[in-house]
Amino acid sequence: MTTANKLLLVPPLLGERGLGGEVPRRRFLQQAALGAVGLLLGSSGLPACAPAASRAHIKGSMRGADFSLGHLLRQPGQLPAPTRTEQVGVLIIGGGVAGLSAKRWLYRHGRTDVLLLELEQGLGGNAAGGQNPVSAYPWGAHYLPVPDARNTELLAFLREAGVITGTDETSGLPVYNEYHLCHDPEERLLIHGHWQQGLVPELGVPAADKAQIQRFFRLVEAMKQAQGADGRDAFCIPLDRSSTDEQFRRLDQLSFADYLAAEGYTSLYLRWYLDYCCQDDYGAPAARVSAWAGLHYFAARKGRAHNAEAADVLTWPEGNAFLVQQLQRGVDRGGIRAATLVYELRETAAGVEALAYDAVTRQTTRILARQVLLATPHFVARRLLAGWADAPALQPYHAPWLIANLTVDGLPQGPGQPLCWDNVRYGSRAVGYIDANHQDLGRDVGQPRVITFYWPLTEAEPDAARRQAYQTSYDQWLQRLLAELETTHPGVTRHVQQAELWVWGHGMVAPTPGYLWGPDEARQRAAQPLRNRVFFAHTDLSGVSIFEEAFYQGIRAATEILAAV
Amino acid sequence: MANEPALLDAPPEPPGTDRRPAGPDYRPALLLGSVFVIATCGLIYELIAGTLASYLLGDSVTQFSTIIGAYLFSMGIGSWLSRFLDAPLLRWFIRLEILVGLVGGFSAPLLFVLFEYVTSFRIILYALVGLTGVLVGLEIPLLMRILENRFEFKELVSRVFTFDYIGALLASLIFPLVLVPQLGLIRTALLFGLLNVAVAAVVLYRFRETRPYRRGLLTAVVLSSAALLACFAYAERVQVYTETLAFQDQVIYSKSTPYQRIVLTRNARELRLFLNGNLQFSSLDEYRYHEALVHPAMQALPQARRVLVLGGGDGLAVRELLKYPRLQSIRLVDLDPGMTELFRRNELLLRLNQRSLLQPKVQVISADAYQWVRQDTARYDLLVIDFPDPSNYSIGKLYSTAFYRELDKLLAPGGRLVVQSTSPYLARRSFWCIAHTLQAAGFHTIPYHLYVPSFGEWGYVLAGRNAHWRPDAGPLPPGLRYVTPQSIRQMLTFPPDMAELPTDVNQLNNQALVRYFEEDWGPYTH
Repeated sequence: MTTANKLLLVPPLLGERGLGGEVPRRRFLQQAALGAVGLLLGSSGLPACAPAASRAHIKGSMRGADFSLGHLLRQPGQLPAPTRTEQVGVLIIGGGVAGLSAKRWLYRHGRTDVLLLELEQGLGGNAAGGQNPVSAYPWGAHYLPVPDARNTELLAFLREAGVITGTDETSGLPVYNEYHLCHDPEERLLIHGHWQQGLVPELGVPAADKAQIQRFFRLVEAMKQAQGADGRDAFCIPLDRSSTDEQFRRLDQLSFADYLAAEGYTSLYLRWYLDYCCQDDYGAPAARVSAWAGLHYFAARKGRAHNAEAADVLTWPEGNAFLVQQLQRGVDRGGIRAATLVYELRETAAGVEALAYDAVTRQTTRILARQVLLATPHFVARRLLAGWADAPALQPYHAPWLIANLTVDGLPQGPGQPLCWDNVRYGSRAVGYIDANHQDLGRDVGQPRVITFYWPLTEAEPDAARRQAYQTSYDQWLQRLLAELETTHPGVTRHVQQAELWVWGHGMVAPTPGYLWGPDEARQRAAQPLRNRVFFAHTDLSGVSIFEEAFYQGIRAATEILAAV
Repeated sequence: MANEPALLDAPPEPPGTDRRPAGPDYRPALLLGSVFVIATCGLIYELIAGTLASYLLGDSVTQFSTIIGAYLFSMGIGSWLSRFLDAPLLRWFIRLEILVGLVGGFSAPLLFVLFEYVTSFRIILYALVGLTGVLVGLEIPLLMRILENRFEFKELVSRVFTFDYIGALLASLIFPLVLVPQLGLIRTALLFGLLNVAVAAVVLYRFRETRPYRRGLLTAVVLSSAALLACFAYAERVQVYTETLAFQDQVIYSKSTPYQRIVLTRNARELRLFLNGNLQFSSLDEYRYHEALVHPAMQALPQARRVLVLGGGDGLAVRELLKYPRLQSIRLVDLDPGMTELFRRNELLLRLNQRSLLQPKVQVISADAYQWVRQDTARYDLLVIDFPDPSNYSIGKLYSTAFYRELDKLLAPGGRLVVQSTSPYLARRSFWCIAHTLQAAGFHTIPYHLYVPSFGEWGYVLAGRNAHWRPDAGPLPPGLRYVTPQSIRQMLTFPPDMAELPTDVNQLNNQALVRYFEEDWGPYTH
């Protein structure tokens, strides 16, 4: 149909306010723009299929967990001898969410003799955040699903943080701060060259696949409602509150991929989606996580709110760094020290002696604590407890991750749904990017924005992938990153102003088969305190690295510490 | 200078000094040819000025007739002035061609550009028409004097005017049939400016008499052609051309600001403003829309002193508010300074909004409305919310419960707000969704609607913390054309095809309204 005919079909009223005259006009502008592009290309003599644009204009650097300081743990002999001694009641090692949650809990229960030491410059662990003039942005975890209304400790914290603003009188459900609930539109998927709304593949998906997808979500619904013989929910957050019923727990013994195959879930669309979900939350594909964990991802989300649905999430420009900040509110700031490496722990008659090297003053302090809470990844805890009898031994699977924060002044947009908070490409091994400016309230008028790109590096075994990741240069990463982004947004390279990259050697724990509910109960034993002197809190002990678990781990360990006094 | 050999009537040069082969003197013919070109150019400039005047100012009969009158009169002045020009006439002629080329060529782009900036656009328009007329008026007398000794008088007059009128005929035919549709006004003007300069160049090259002063004039020719060519190449041709086709009426102004594309069109009867292709008002019936936006709320606020208008950078809602002397301050917050500047500068638009944005009571702020309401600490008796329709997610946020709760904080005790709420007929769910969203934010709502011919049925929601509102609570200002206590009562009735229906509440985390709006308007746009 010609444009002229199209114009005639639009009733006169519709040249009017509203969407009216937009359609023909848009086509004209598109044609005009095409013409203009043609002119530009023609006049400048640039071939239209020029090789990818140069990366020279992109500023940025390799950031990341303080790799060199952390690796001093391997050569403690190089560190100076202690020059002074300090005494504390509780020493918390690790300033991620679990450590901060424990500190907060202890503080609220009257314990002010608590010192928290963090290796990095900033707190938060894999919930850290950063900032540039364009936006704050996450360096890792970036959202919290609307929690189950029965998770009272978490709800109390969210009230404290202003995330929950009240309670609805009729329903009794929490009312969430609308500025913290993820604004619509939330998610989109690039599939068959078109951006569809939502991440579950729909567009161009054959009916047989759609039927499998529907069957899977019916299963999820059933699992959400399911309860074990002990009366507990089959799947709960924190997961330790899940039913002990064997009919569910035995699902931990096989991989999610095997389970799906056995249940007849063969659709490639569905399997891609479930792989994507496992990569996104666990940093491992469905073949590497247990069926229990794969189902838990969906079936444990039972959030209830007056003004949000179960699938809704809370998010902030800086990601969960917002929550990290809130955890520190009302806690004595003096009791937290960053850039400090604890490199040795020794049991003494009265408790524990720790040697802590301050990277700023380059001095070592001997800290005498009655109790120590190890809120570190398990591999760090093991190294610190190397000389200890009956130190716990776990083998968590930790994939490395690449996180990139890109400042862009435009994102060439394909057809379909406009930019969302979460943007994923079907078929990609990376898990997409989020728009850090998504919660902005102002009119979106094409100013620069920051997008945070997530890439779990799961193509090799974690150790090999980690070594490889550390050996990859900034420029090599940038090249790979842009190649991926160009697939999603052709022509985006020239819009990238800045690219800050961060490699997480141990991004997060993956719940591999048997890790959560294995018969050896290694995970549960690893969380047990050592002689009421050393306590443990970390999502490695949950097997699932989400804010709720870390928050719960901190409270669990703090409760044990309080009980031990 | 006076001793320079006079042109054409100079004594024949000794044989052999002319490098060109002897033959018939083609130079008079060349000059007659240039009569043809300059006559075409002259009429084209006149047509451009007339067309532009009727585009930009409307009322084409008056505009055309006064422009033609002024142009012909100026040509007369030019003809009279020609007597003051003395030899060397050829030098004057070349200068004149360059000048006509520049003035005529840049006339159209200049008028388009100045339309935004100049309050008294007419003065500029007629000054330019006058100047072009004077220059064009000089051309023919000058040429006749140059040629006077080459032809018999009757021959001269006959030839010159024949070419003159043929040129005029050609111009009058190609202007509407070829030039305007193919090139548009701006490029047509520039093209004919180039032709005038080309005449200067040819004469300069072909007439050896010009040697003594060739260098200076050659520089002028080169610079003028370069300027005209550059302008021709970079004129905003694509947009002006395509937009003229995309809108029903003539586009008289278009500008892309960082926030939106502003387009003004006009025809014989009305002026229309489009933002991103969506009609914002027609000058014919905008009074209905703006009276209904302001007066039902204001008549029931006898104590109102302070008003905040969000959106509405055209100043038309403010115009209505200024009809209440009791208001002490009106603050308007619009995202786009491009809009508010246009409505504070342009003569036509100032006439429409009655200079409302220039009144001392009125404060105009360029800011994002959402950011503004979160940091404003003032209290207002009335908030007038005149945003574009919720056609995308970023505008949808300005219709959310969260936004309305921010507005609640800005209301003085007993204060009200009124929200333009799209069409309850064409976008029925969208309209009621806005009403329900206001209710969810804790307001009592009074939905109402009226018929605005250029929009169709249009709706508003009046909201306040209490339900005390009456359609005849207080006096209305004199001179309203639509709003009366009776018409307000009529506006409150919703027939079944627009009646209330259940909808979701628009929240930031569901953007229900944008989805309704897309679905409601979808059938009319695809």
